[in-house]
Amino acid sequence: MDIFHDSPLFSGVRQMVNAFAKSAIRPIAIEHDRSETMPWALMKQASMMGMSQSSLIEGRKKLTGVDEDPDPKKPKSQARIAVAGAEELSWGCAGICLAIGGSGLAASPVARMGTDEQKQEFKKLLTGDDEHGHIKVAAMALSEPGTGSDISGLKTTARKDGSHWVIRGSKQWITNGKSASVYVVWAQTDAAAGRAGVRGFIVARGTPGLVPGKKETKLGIRASETAQVHFEDVRVHEAMMLGVAGESSGGLADTKKMLDSTRPVVAAQAVGIARAAYEFLLERVRGGSLHGTPMASHQHIMFELSEMLMEITASRMLAHRAAWMADHHLDNVAEASMAKAHAARTAQQVTTRAMVLLGEEALEPGHPVEKWYRDAKIYDIFEGTGQIQRRIIAKTLAGQNPT
Amino acid sequence: MDFGLDQDQQLIVETVRRFAERDLRTWAGDADRAGAPPDRLAHTATELGFFVDAVPADAGGLRDGTYSHVTRALRGFELGRGCAALAALLECSVEPALAVGAWGSAAAKAALFGSLANGGRATLFHDSRGALTLDGDRLTGKLGPTPGLATASHVLVATGELLALIPTKDLRVTPITPSGWRAAQWATIALEAHRIPDDMILRNGSVADVLAWARTSLAARACGVAVAAMEHAQAYAADRVQFGQPIGTFESLIRLRDDALTTASAAKLLALHAAWQLDTKHAQAHDTASRARVIAGDAVTRATIDAVQIFGGYGFVNDYPVEKLMRDARAFEALHGDERLGRVLSQKVA
Repeated sequence: MDIFHDSPLFSGVRQMVNAFAKSAIRPIAIEHDRSETMPWALMKQASMMGMSQSSLIEGRKKLTGVDEDPDPKKPKSQARIAVAGAEELSWGCAGICLAIGGSGLAASPVARMGTDEQKQEFKKLLTGDDEHGHIKVAAMALSEPGTGSDISGLKTTARKDGSHWVIRGSKQWITNGKSASVYVVWAQTDAAAGRAGVRGFIVARGTPGLVPGKKETKLGIRASETAQVHFEDVRVHEAMMLGVAGESSGGLADTKKMLDSTRPVVAAQAVGIARAAYEFLLERVRGGSLHGTPMASHQHIMFELSEMLMEITASRMLAHRAAWMADHHLDNVAEASMAKAHAARTAQQVTTRAMVLLGEEALEPGHPVEKWYRDAKIYDIFEGTGQIQRRIIAKTLAGQNPT
Repeated sequence: MDFGLDQDQQLIVETVRRFAERDLRTWAGDADRAGAPPDRLAHTATELGFFVDAVPADAGGLRDGTYSHVTRALRGFELGRGCAALAALLECSVEPALAVGAWGSAAAKAALFGSLANGGRATLFHDSRGALTLDGDRLTGKLGPTPGLATASHVLVATGELLALIPTKDLRVTPITPSGWRAAQWATIALEAHRIPDDMILRNGSVADVLAWARTSLAARACGVAVAAMEHAQAYAADRVQFGQPIGTFESLIRLRDDALTTASAAKLLALHAAWQLDTKHAQAHDTASRARVIAGDAVTRATIDAVQIFGGYGFVNDYPVEKLMRDARAFEALHGDERLGRVLSQKVA
């Protein structure tokens, strides 16, 4: 496994993204958290560096200058590159990391299930700037007001009408929900088929009936936009449906598999937050004194830091293992869940303990550790809550189909 | 051993519970978003006897005889169930009033009690980080962040062994709005060789006593917030259906809630025990107050984080009450510094 001796490819990605996070993300992170705004200029800059929404479709070439081996049986490196980069971006700011990469949630199913025509259309809809001069972004519209953890109960429907599908329903907690130029919306095409009837549709902004709703004020990741989206009889051409109607491929099971592939990346983001808080504390301890003695001479503090480092390292290794398995075409469903659940817990524990150790200092408005404390919580909620991850692991323990 | 409440305590608990449930909870969300308490708070709370409850009756207050920390802790728990930020504003005048009443000069009493009896406020700043230096009678350094300081006429400063009452009138007060307790009118003050008049120093005053009062009150309020978080979570989980059943019937979520309430119950009892020891001048009172704050900090942290977990995506957004509670939890462990660290250092000498 590469994690034991970081290869030049992965360490190169790590260094490049860390330099970007340090120089470009960190200086603006607190302000975007305060103002709850997307860092549009930075997102454009990140896209020019290859961290774009369509990079998932284009493969790794843009970011690393190296093409994946086209042989599908050969190991890939995409998952590990994503994990290495995500930790660094999130170390800079988890909200900005999600603003940069949020479109990837929508790009992923298109890359996985889309036809060439659909991929071209998706890329076309993301080309150029939007009406505000902002880089275009995409939104994956899956969750609904009544459908958070249990995504099999989708209420949004798609009804066939000639060569079009007519989509009706409301979506909740949608990343880029207000600003997206293109949506991948999931809807039930055949209630009798249950989960197998759920399909994704590529829908352009401005399509009649597509109404972005209320933007949420959130506890954390405030530089990433989260909004409701309403679909009021939105007509979509049948060519823009992902997968094939009546066949099992392209349905919800594929969507869930897709989430398996993003979980190691999400885990790595949580690791990035935990590491940021740990490093902040470490720096404070190295230079600080407590009642006349160096802080570093206190076991109470140093053991706390040691504990943090153990958990962060364990979380990172779980994320890398899950990514390595994905790159080697191995079933990683339980491993991806372990990584995500463990890293989410680590991020919450490390940020909470860091705040306690810093005392009143961390209550100052705009303190980075306080922001990281708020950012960390979402990692135990989105992309499958901590309970859903344990449910998946438990099902594999019981020999059941985890999806 | 009697865990029951006397008639007066019962009446106070019922009154404050009504106030917390009917008013504080209703005001909490808007006050949080505005970063300021509602105008009605001062009027309603004054009618209920807050702000002057620790001021002697002969100085315009309501305190007739000894002060009951048990009653204060019972009240604090209910206030915490209502809103941590507004609770802080209702409680923060108590330490200055008690300290000045016990150890203050005639001038200090006249200044503070005169202010409090006329609608003024006071607060406590404990210099847990060693941010202040005392040179003769001159104090230099940063005071805060402290709740209530933005509108306080006086601040009781506890640094090292010094207890001093400082009027804020001529100082540069910088109001701030932290992420938690947003409505609690926080501020910082930069002191530059600020002279403390001799009659504003509380001679023979005990910093340890003051901190024990503050810790006990903080612990009680923290338990209230913890219980409130789980009350909200329980109500939500009873209604929210996923996988064909209310999520509150999933064993893993029952366990989250049950563990949080177990810890909060234990913490509340320890806070009340500390308060009883303070009232009875027990030798262990300071230590128990500190322990109460440790476990209450654990309780409020756990309960609020887990309440957001139970709410899931709704827990992360400001439309629902628990997102605020998770932000509010932090001040309970941050004010007066890391309690566990303080305990370790204080026992190291032995």
